[in-house]
Amino acid sequence: MPASGSKSVFKLAGIVTLGLVAGVASAYVSMKHFGMGSEERMGWSGSRVTGSSEAGPLLRARVALTGLLALNRSQAIYFTRKVDDLGEPLREGCHYRLSGGPLPGRWWSITAYAADDYLPQNTDDALSVDASEVRPDGAGAWEAEAGPVRNPAMPWLSTRKAGNFDLTLRIYNPSEQAQRDFGTIAFPRVERISCGEPQ
Amino acid sequence: MKPGLRYLLAFVAAAAIGHVGTIVVAPNAIMHLAMRKLSEDGKLINAFRFSDRTTSASRWVVRPSPDLAYASCVYDLSKGPILVDVPATPGGGYVSVSVFAGNTDNVAAMDSLRSPNGIRFILQKERRLVHPGDGPVIYTPTTRGIILDRRLAPTQAAFEIADKARRSDSCAPL
Repeated sequence: MPASGSKSVFKLAGIVTLGLVAGVASAYVSMKHFGMGSEERMGWSGSRVTGSSEAGPLLRARVALTGLLALNRSQAIYFTRKVDDLGEPLREGCHYRLSGGPLPGRWWSITAYAADDYLPQNTDDALSVDASEVRPDGAGAWEAEAGPVRNPAMPWLSTRKAGNFDLTLRIYNPSEQAQRDFGTIAFPRVERISCGEPQ
Repeated sequence: MKPGLRYLLAFVAAAAIGHVGTIVVAPNAIMHLAMRKLSEDGKLINAFRFSDRTTSASRWVVRPSPDLAYASCVYDLSKGPILVDVPATPGGGYVSVSVFAGNTDNVAAMDSLRSPNGIRFILQKERRLVHPGDGPVIYTPTTRGIILDRRLAPTQAAFEIADKARRSDSCAPL
């Protein structure tokens, strides 16, 4: 093969390799951030096909990457948010008030996950707040706090060492209406109280 | 065709193949890795493995729930169906059993609300003859996959009760 032909083949092989790498990288970004077929309600997004065989290829891939072995919707429905009620990213250095009313299931919990999709690397023994910890008033309204330092007056979700995190709400044994229509769920609010100095 | 255009087309075609190929292959590849981890590199097949209480150090699956006690069984139906038996948690604690195929599909989910006295079933590969046996039969499209037993255990005390009960879980050949 002439030298120029050989050079051309090597150049083509290099470009194909670059293309493959770019394709794999774009697939990773899609799986990590897009295509969940999700619905967003009050800042929380969830998918009614997570874990089911109804899921398409991209959703299946995304579930495998970020929610492998998720329960199906008759057992639990999952909702995630990365921002507070004002649309600002959730950050370890801030305190947030979580508040809401009765949720349509037998039990619920809210957990913080770091950007790597694992639990924050702290030993505060406060990895979630759940239905058994909050103290609802007569109307069922409850409050909790998420932040890096405990507020003794409230059920606490520790975000220490979470960096920029997200919150996952799990509603176990959700009502059929909630499974069918996420719009019927009164989702918890996530209000930023302060950032920087511990409360 | 101009060399520049040829290279551009080659790049776009390769990127498309890489993108679609990754999305198609990812679920099976990630499940394969999970099965390898949960079976301790193939040593625990058709047997339950009991995870410690979830802490910030838990890394066996992404986004683990700190409120649940997990037990997992990597199944292999290449030699025939298996019998899965998951007893109830004393006191009526919530128990959920899910069967996942090797492509991540959740092919069955059962819980203690419908089966308060424990969950028991035969797991069989699709399009195989039903093996004689008692109880319901669940079909899965893949030979290998994962069965997950999740028990509500938001406190240390609840975890200890759930842990004691789950030690009687079994998933063994008929």
